[in-house]
Amino acid sequence: MIRWPIIILLIFSFNSYAKYSKAIKYYKSNHKNKNILIAQELIKSKYYFSATYFLKQHLVESNQYSKELENMMEMVALKTGPLSFSNLHDSYLLKFNSHSLKFIHGLKSFRYKRYQSAINSLIKIPLDHRLAPESVFILGSSYQMKEQFDKARIYYKQCITLAEKNEDEAEHKKLKQYFGIIKESCIIHQARMEYRKGNYKRSLKIYDLIPKTSFRWPYILIEKAWVHYMLDDYNRSLGTLVTYKSPLLTSYFFPEAEYLTALNYFKLCLWGDSNQVIEHYYTTYKPRSEELKKFLIAHKSSHTYFLKILLSPIKDWENMSPYMRNLMTQVRKKIKFNLELINFKKVQNEMKYLVQRSKKKKDPLTTLLISEVKKMQSWRTKHLNHYIKKQMFSFINEIHRYSYEQFNIRLEIMALKRELVYDNKKLISNRSRGSLDNVTRTQKQHFYDFMGEFWADELGDYSFGLKSNCKKVKNKNK
Amino acid sequence: MTKLILLLSISWMSLSSQAQGENKNLIVKYKQYESFDLGNLEIEGKVIAPGDLSVKERQRKKFYRDLYVREDFNPEIFKDIDNLR
Repeated sequence: MIRWPIIILLIFSFNSYAKYSKAIKYYKSNHKNKNILIAQELIKSKYYFSATYFLKQHLVESNQYSKELENMMEMVALKTGPLSFSNLHDSYLLKFNSHSLKFIHGLKSFRYKRYQSAINSLIKIPLDHRLAPESVFILGSSYQMKEQFDKARIYYKQCITLAEKNEDEAEHKKLKQYFGIIKESCIIHQARMEYRKGNYKRSLKIYDLIPKTSFRWPYILIEKAWVHYMLDDYNRSLGTLVTYKSPLLTSYFFPEAEYLTALNYFKLCLWGDSNQVIEHYYTTYKPRSEELKKFLIAHKSSHTYFLKILLSPIKDWENMSPYMRNLMTQVRKKIKFNLELINFKKVQNEMKYLVQRSKKKKDPLTTLLISEVKKMQSWRTKHLNHYIKKQMFSFINEIHRYSYEQFNIRLEIMALKRELVYDNKKLISNRSRGSLDNVTRTQKQHFYDFMGEFWADELGDYSFGLKSNCKKVKNKNK
Repeated sequence: MTKLILLLSISWMSLSSQAQGENKNLIVKYKQYESFDLGNLEIEGKVIAPGDLSVKERQRKKFYRDLYVREDFNPEIFKDIDNLR
């Protein structure tokens, strides 16, 4: 019986070997376009990270650029990620009329908050380019950051159409998910834009387009709660925030959500409830964050520790800190982290093949590539480790920031209580009770009493029914 | 002329240094004890009936803290782009 897959694999590996040998031959030669020729052979043999070294050399040293080179650039940028080229100086990224390089420059400029520079580069990328969905997404965001909302809206619409098309055409599940997230991100950015402009009702309508099954949905609940707050619908805002207490969303803990809960109670003049939320924050979350801080500071200068922890089994680290599991789960769910992790594994794999090749037969090209790919591997390890570390430190900073903001609410409550004493008045009641009369609703909404159970289809649609306690009455007690 | 000016300035300097020397020897003494006979003091004026007491009313200044409210979601927009491949 003929084992076809084995034969195909053998032919392929032989073919790949032949191409690599060609690369060695070019490396030894004095050919004018030697960098391109080596990169071409390396790409054919699937040594994408190795190829980036020679492509970058070409961009720095040569003035020649062709359509074939652009295709190579596009492929390598997609296979290794735009980060591989982002360390090049802007003058090299803008040296040629290359759409892939313009995309890398646009992305880099946005990250450095140079929005006009990002626009200048990205606007030149055609809509049929493979990186067009990302490109129009960044364009829309750049205009939004510059508060040019009409232009931003045009690009977000294009982004939704293009991402949807790519989502339908993508064959791999991960890629489908990726374009799905870009589409939803463009929708969410539109909602954020309306929020910034003060069109809260419109913003809410756009947020509602994101399905509850989406990966982005738990993250936008807090934003929706802010929209309800701005619409003075404090009961609905509290209801939206209570969704985070459901067992399904235990890994999502946002200090801002606690602050907004206290603020909503404050606006309803339910000072007791507000103080209770603040007290709980100080007694529960703050000590936990202090514990996490101690752990983070002990390893803050390590370039590998956090990545090693994340890649090890959960049981090894989940008891290190109460927030550890939540934070690690959130990091693991991030698309960026997953994509970078794939690239990290790819570079490790490439390194393994280069070392194997070197063991069989030493040649100058492989020796050079081992040294260069080792640098890339080390840089990517540090980059991933830094990404995890940054997420954790941002979380700690947020806990402290909102602790300060909650302290302000507490001071304000004390000041208002003092005012009441001076005026010889008191609030109408100590604690209002929930009632359907206090719930604002649209025609399509139906209400059921909450019996302490979180049903998946109801998540995010809760509303409190608390009556505002802000009416002051004369204090008759002496 | 210059000789005259020089002579005058020297004589003025010597006089001022002499005056300073005299000031150093000056002792100032303050009265250590003084008594007042309050019963013997006379105050001139008229005795009249007290009128209505009036206090100028003023609204007490109230200070409100600027509690934090979200103005935009720009940091989140930034994070979204940072999460691209």
